[in-house]
Order: sequence, then structure tokens, then C-alpha cells
Amino acid sequence: MNEFVLLVGKGKLVEEIDSYLNQQGVKTKTLDQVFPANEVIAVFDLETGLNQEKRQLLQQVETRVTQQTPIFTSVLHRTATEIASWLFYPERLVGFSPLLLPKMTSVEICFPIQSLRPNHKLLSIWKQLGKDVEIVGDQPGLVFARTLALLVNEASFALSEGVAKATDIDLAMQKGLNHPQGPLQWADQVGVHHLYAVLEGLQREYGEDRYRPAPLLRKMMYAQFIGVESEQGFYSYGAQEMRQDPHCFADRPERRSKMLSDA
Amino acid sequence: MTGQTWKSPAVIGTGTMGRGIMDMLITAGYQVKAFDNCKKNRISAREWLEERWWKLAEKGKKTLFEVESMQERLMLVDSLQGLSDCDFIIEAVPEDLLLKRNIFHQLDSLTSAETVLATNTSSLSVTSISSKCKHPERVIGLHFFNPVWRLPLVEVVESAHTPLELVQQAMSWLQTMGKEPIHVLDTPGFIVNRVARPFHLEAYRIVGEGLADKNQVDRILRSAGFPMGPFELQDLIGIDINYSASHSVYEGFHYDPRFRPHPEQRALVESGKLGRKSGKGHYIYE
Repeated sequence: MNEFVLLVGKGKLVEEIDSYLNQQGVKTKTLDQVFPANEVIAVFDLETGLNQEKRQLLQQVETRVTQQTPIFTSVLHRTATEIASWLFYPERLVGFSPLLLPKMTSVEICFPIQSLRPNHKLLSIWKQLGKDVEIVGDQPGLVFARTLALLVNEASFALSEGVAKATDIDLAMQKGLNHPQGPLQWADQVGVHHLYAVLEGLQREYGEDRYRPAPLLRKMMYAQFIGVESEQGFYSYGAQEMRQDPHCFADRPERRSKMLSDA
Repeated sequence: MTGQTWKSPAVIGTGTMGRGIMDMLITAGYQVKAFDNCKKNRISAREWLEERWWKLAEKGKKTLFEVESMQERLMLVDSLQGLSDCDFIIEAVPEDLLLKRNIFHQLDSLTSAETVLATNTSSLSVTSISSKCKHPERVIGLHFFNPVWRLPLVEVVESAHTPLELVQQAMSWLQTMGKEPIHVLDTPGFIVNRVARPFHLEAYRIVGEGLADKNQVDRILRSAGFPMGPFELQDLIGIDINYSASHSVYEGFHYDPRFRPHPEQRALVESGKLGRKSGKGHYIYE
């Protein structure tokens, strides 16, 4: 059989998941290739959905696959329910969180309310990939991305208030709480835009101020400071994806008693 | 105070944090004076530290000679006056603003104006603790993490009065003792307690809304690389402790909704489900 996963989206996350799937022996194709509809075993839509492109892409996808083909869509910014409302056959849509997918032993998925009785047969691809499936409720960011987005948001507020410099904030969370990475470095790794998308999605869905993205994050979105992917996030990056510079553009040494040295 | 390194440190309060700080100073070779207003606490702190050091000797990490001289370097005193000749006093009494303010007020007149007065606090304002001092410019915050010998981080807190030189000297001094200090401003929760708030609070919301159960949240976040999920972590540190940290940051930011605690936190505390220490918390412990 010539089965494959149809990958939708662009950017570093898509490349990472593409190479992960290939390593697992799963072939991938994209919309610009020619293929018969019945060979698509699943669609992975990784578009974050901050603009209208996601909707157009998914409507295009529906014309290229069968009615039953499971479509896994990134719910970092929108709920699966909202995304399903764009489709002719919403029952086969499943939300998932693509962040850290290659690394995590589990995958978080959610069903839209349109699939009144969730069809677990849609999930067979995850068994094939050896992932533990965690079925959670349908809200932007699900569990991990939502948690990380809020940690990064708070770190961004603290950074722009000058409470500590960026490297100290990262060191604090690593050394004080044994987090695998500091929030700002972590955001640069996974992509600031994905986490921003979660915050804006939560703010819209809940209408609550607690999810308001820090003004610093909004500015970083305007400037496309999205992290390693654009070689500039909270930190600057060179060709080898190494952190080149401990200095962060948003540091405010003047707030801390004119602390100029890097003591 | 330029170019000064401190030679005779002291610790006030011989609870968990005080013991960890005493251990750090004595291990670094200092003669340490320690005071606690409860005699039983002082004595049990000495016994506890000595037991810890002898265990290290059994494992071959300390020689018998080293342990004996460490024991000699710990001097318990029975009044605050006994600390008057010390040059760096670290207070580590319970998190009670009035208690701390009172101790600093007394130390202010008992010690020379050159003596540095440090407070180990995770949630109180250092500026507020030093507000009754005649010389608030010698007051600094040092937020240590428990257990002190395993967690190298120290948040060095600059109050509204602390000069930069003192912050930098304290940071270099801590580095000589193997610590990794960071410089933070005197704001609610500093960095660690503030930035960690959503890790706990959002987990309560996710579960409260029925999006996932506690086990799932812990499993997912561990899978993403956190050493522990929020619920198992709260059971370890104490749900009451975590709740009071939530509350103090919330209050400190004048009830900014980002920090709003969750009703279940209070319900758990009031029903005595405090975590591992009470046998029951988010999970049940035998």
C-alpha cells in the first residue's frame, strides 16, 4: 500500500513532524503533490490558525481526501469545535497539540462537540506511532501548550517590568524548580508564535483578562521575533541554533539599580 | 562596604530553611552563630545537622575530622544580643511580616550600621520588612530554596533601599559557597514564585472545568519534560503552603485576575487534605 499522512502547514514545526514521521516509517505528502484520495491515512494540519489561511487550507483538504479520512488539526489557537464547523464532514475532525510531538511519549487530542459519539477508530495512527493517547477537553492549547504559554506570558511580564534579566529568569526556573528549560529559552525553541496563539485563543474563548498576552509578546509577533526559527526570539541565534548571546533585547538593566555588568 | 567579604555570619530561626542556611555556611568554613527564641528548636537543629554530617561521613563524603570541626563551628546563642558582633545576619523565621519587622527593628539597634541584615523570604516585601530600620540600606533579601544543599538557586532581592554594590557583593559571596544567585527586584513572588503560579493555577482550572483529570494533567506535563506534574508537586510541598503562596502573590498584585487562586485550593486546605504530610491531598498516600 502507498499509504501516507497528508501534512498541511509550514515552518519549523512542520519540518520537525515531517522528519519524525519519516523516521517512524510513515510516508508524508503535501497538498501540492498529486495523490489518490484513498491513500491518505490521516491529515495532520499544523497551521496555528491566527489568520484565515487555516480555514481555506482545510476546505481544500476536504476536496482531496475521503469523507472518512481522519483530520488531526492543531488546536493551539482555536477549538476543534470551531474548526469542525468549517467542514462538510466535521465528525472526522480531531484536535491535537503538535508541540513537542516527536519528543513526548503521549499525544493530547480532543473531539469537537459535533462528533456526538467520539469515534476512537479515528485514532489508529497514534497506535502505529506508539503514542499514548490522552483525550482531553476541547479548549485552545489543551494541557501542555496552555501551561507553557501561561508560564512564558508571566515570564514576559516580569521581564518587561525589569524584575530580573532574561537569563536570570530562565536560570531561576531551571535551578529553582528543575524545569527542563527556562520559559524564555523554551519559547524560543517551540516558537513564540505558537504560544502567543494559545494565549489569544484562550482570551477569546474565555473572555478573561488572565489570558491577555503580555505587550512584549505582541511586539515580538509584529517584529516576527518568533525564536530559533527566525534566528531572533527572546535571544539571538546564529546558524548552528546555538544560543549566541546571553543578552536579551528586552532586558532592562536600568530598573535594577543601573546594573550594567554581567556579574 | 566596598571590597568586603563577611567573616562572622549568623542565622536567626532554626527551622528547615535556617538549618539549610547554617549547613551552607558551616560547610563553607564559617563559624556560625545561630539563634532561635525556642530553646528546643535550637537544640534539635544542632542534633539534626550533626546527624546529617555524620551520615555524610559514613558515606565517605566528609572525614571524621571535618565533621568534628564543623560541629565546633556551630555556636548556639540564647538571645539576639548574642549576635551583635556578627557582620552578616540571615533571618529565616516563619513568614510573618510583623514578626520579621520586629526582629529587624531590634537588630537595627543591636548591631553596627555596617552589619548586613538579610531576610530569607519567599513572599514578603523586603522593603516592608526593613521599613522600621534606621539603616534600611543594609537590608537585603535572600530567597533560598529547600533543600538548600540540593537547590543552588538564591534570589537576591534588591529592596527600594538596597544599593547595587551590596547586591553584587552578596551575589559573589554566595557564589563562593557554590550557589547560583540571581538578582531580582522586590516585587510580589520575585521570579520563581510568580512565574510558577500559572503552573499550579491553570492546572486547577483545567481540572475544574472538566477538561482533564488530575492524573492526566500530571502525566501530560511529565511527558513534556517537567520533573513532576502540578498536583503531585503540590502534594509534596503541601497544598496549604502552595495556597498561601498563591494568595500572597494575588494580594501583592492587588488582585490581578492572572493570579486569582482557585476555590478548590481553599476547599482542600479546609478539609485537611494538605498532601503527603497529611496522608491525603490530590492523591491518597498510605
